Amino acid sequence: MKRKGLTILCLMLVVTWLSGCATPETSKKVPYRMSPQGTVIWEDEFEFSPPPPDWKLLRVEAGENDVTFGFMRPDPGGYPSVTTFAYDEDPFGCTAASFEGREREFFKRFLFNAILQFQILERKKVRVVGGEGLAVIVEGKDPVKKEKVRAKVVFGKRGERILGFYITQWRPMDGSYDPSAFEVFDKFVASFKFLKKSFYETL
Amino acid sequence: MEGHQRNLYLYDRFNARVVGVSRDDVLTLKYWGNDLGVTFPLLSNITAFVGAYFDIQPEGKPIFGRRTVIIDKKGVIRYVRDGSPDFKDILLFLKKLNQEGR
Repeated sequence: MKRKGLTILCLMLVVTWLSGCATPETSKKVPYRMSPQGTVIWEDEFEFSPPPPDWKLLRVEAGENDVTFGFMRPDPGGYPSVTTFAYDEDPFGCTAASFEGREREFFKRFLFNAILQFQILERKKVRVVGGEGLAVIVEGKDPVKKEKVRAKVVFGKRGERILGFYITQWRPMDGSYDPSAFEVFDKFVASFKFLKKSFYETL
Repeated sequence: MEGHQRNLYLYDRFNARVVGVSRDDVLTLKYWGNDLGVTFPLLSNITAFVGAYFDIQPEGKPIFGRRTVIIDKKGVIRYVRDGSPDFKDILLFLKKLNQEGR
């Protein structure tokens, strides 16, 4: 445990918590606008190519461990057929400075409530938001509910902090995945740009 | 808690330290903190007097409410917010206090 001398104690932050609880809040303002080139400018901070119109914007939430924003599309094939992708400024995990370390922390909690066992299908280094990154493709299965999910997570960096993009595609166990949704996600990630320094970089 | 851990380098910059307080027992907190990778102190308060002091102990419940409190170096409570921590708000507040020398 990190130790500091008591004499240098200046401010103290006391935090009490209920394990596992988060209180979502919603924003009523529209946080984006379209550029003349057809890209989305999000809060004058991010720019990206939007997905096709059948993808719906996910509600923006604030608070601990919530995604910054994302998109979802109901898929044919009945429950639980849906695909969702998101940009997350603070993906799960907190201590690892390396992508590989953060990946280990991340998958301890990713889709935690679904209680899935993930199998890593592919892991490769990539270029993302102008720097190095790590892409991991996984599949999780739930033999009890007879559901499965394929996910791709891309870790990158903004300043000192690791960020994440991820897509999840749920299917019944005997359903087939739709690779075109992953292509939409890849295009979104490839187009993603920062228009200014992050809040944390300017503190 | 992960959010606070991610922000430790920024808390250091503003001369702030963070502690978590819970009604869970020491062993539970130790396991949980290690699993998450939390390096700041997690305090066990199973008798709940801290919760009573900060008015976050719901009657008849074995848990604390979720509250973030910032105490300055003179022991004065400067900031109280309930619910999920708003990290940007917390960091801006700590920056301001640090600039004011509090």
